[in-house]
Amino acid sequence: MIDGLVLIGGGIVAGLFGSLLGLGGGILIVPLLTLVFNLPVLTAVGVSLICVIVTSGAAAGVYLERHVANLRLGMTLELFTAIGALVGGLVAFLLPERLLEVLFSVLLLYVSVTMLRRRDGGEQDVPAVLPDVSDQASTTATDQSFEASLSGPDYRVRRLGFGLVGSVGAGVVSALLGIGGGLIKVPVMHVVMGVPLRVATATSNLMIGITASASAIIYLLRGGIDAYVAAPTAIGVFLGASLGSRIAHRIDLRILRGLFVVILLYTAWQMLQRAAS
Amino acid sequence: MTGGTGRPSTDDLDRTIARLLTIGTYGSVALLAVGVLLMIATRITPLGGGPRFEPSILVDDLVHLRAQGFIWLGLVCVVATPSARVIASLVGYIRGGERSMATVAVLILVVIGLSVALARGLGG
Repeated sequence: MIDGLVLIGGGIVAGLFGSLLGLGGGILIVPLLTLVFNLPVLTAVGVSLICVIVTSGAAAGVYLERHVANLRLGMTLELFTAIGALVGGLVAFLLPERLLEVLFSVLLLYVSVTMLRRRDGGEQDVPAVLPDVSDQASTTATDQSFEASLSGPDYRVRRLGFGLVGSVGAGVVSALLGIGGGLIKVPVMHVVMGVPLRVATATSNLMIGITASASAIIYLLRGGIDAYVAAPTAIGVFLGASLGSRIAHRIDLRILRGLFVVILLYTAWQMLQRAAS
Repeated sequence: MTGGTGRPSTDDLDRTIARLLTIGTYGSVALLAVGVLLMIATRITPLGGGPRFEPSILVDDLVHLRAQGFIWLGLVCVVATPSARVIASLVGYIRGGERSMATVAVLILVVIGLSVALARGLGG
């Protein structure tokens, strides 16, 4: 009973932080379940994938309704994130627990550094879109017309090939670590493919559903999802994310970001210690 | 609104899929919430180890108001909602005569189908 309430509470905090900082709840769910509840990493990743699908589904609906997300681009890229997630979901069951813990610690450190840089440079640190260097010279007319069909009214999608490779990588990381993969997808779409940041974020959110479900199916059918842990945690994350989207404009994100970096660094240290023990 | 061609417009498709995602997500969360309430009512501790997914007893669990039935149905709905979105897109693209996007949708469903087949095969 108390455990159930703590899981819901932990989910609310993870969803709230994730929503306010644009990270999704996954980054905190795995440490919460492994370090606080002492669950195996693989179980935590399975539960996290469920949470990630729930939060992305609600947000993606809103983004599509407002025509911010690019459905064509999202579907084209998610074919490759799904392939990556399928591979990652199968590999995850073969990797030793310690390696997954180390990989997750590395992810936490990466996110911490990214957030610190954002804190120093405000929002201006968003990398500039790479210039178009006419790399289409070698592509066929068919490729170009397909790329053109993925573009939006006020932007043109470029370097689709790089986007597809990045999507496979995002899928693998998502399946191994139980995150949405937006940390990879958004920079690839924005910096490499020339998609506006707002559209890239919304499209990434849309893609998370298929990416996470491709591996969640594997976790679910192989007994990697603990239903009694997943249900209260997913409800908590859903409530937290909903609350976060409503209060985001009232919060000073600089202070929150600083606090979050401290939590992430501490969590990374704890995960590394767990891996070493 | 069909854009005057009898085919669904991109806006229509976006709206249809948005609705599907919203209904799927809220429906799944509602099922999970019922399951959690039943867990609390029957004093099931979440950290005691969850039940395995047994599709054959799902209906029986639901009829007998067992927590695990509602939770598993909720989890299946969570995982199935994105695939339902791809199926809806496939129908929209076929109706719109967009072969390349319809092919992409079919390939995504093939990958999802592969996930199910491989997980079942490896799960024994």
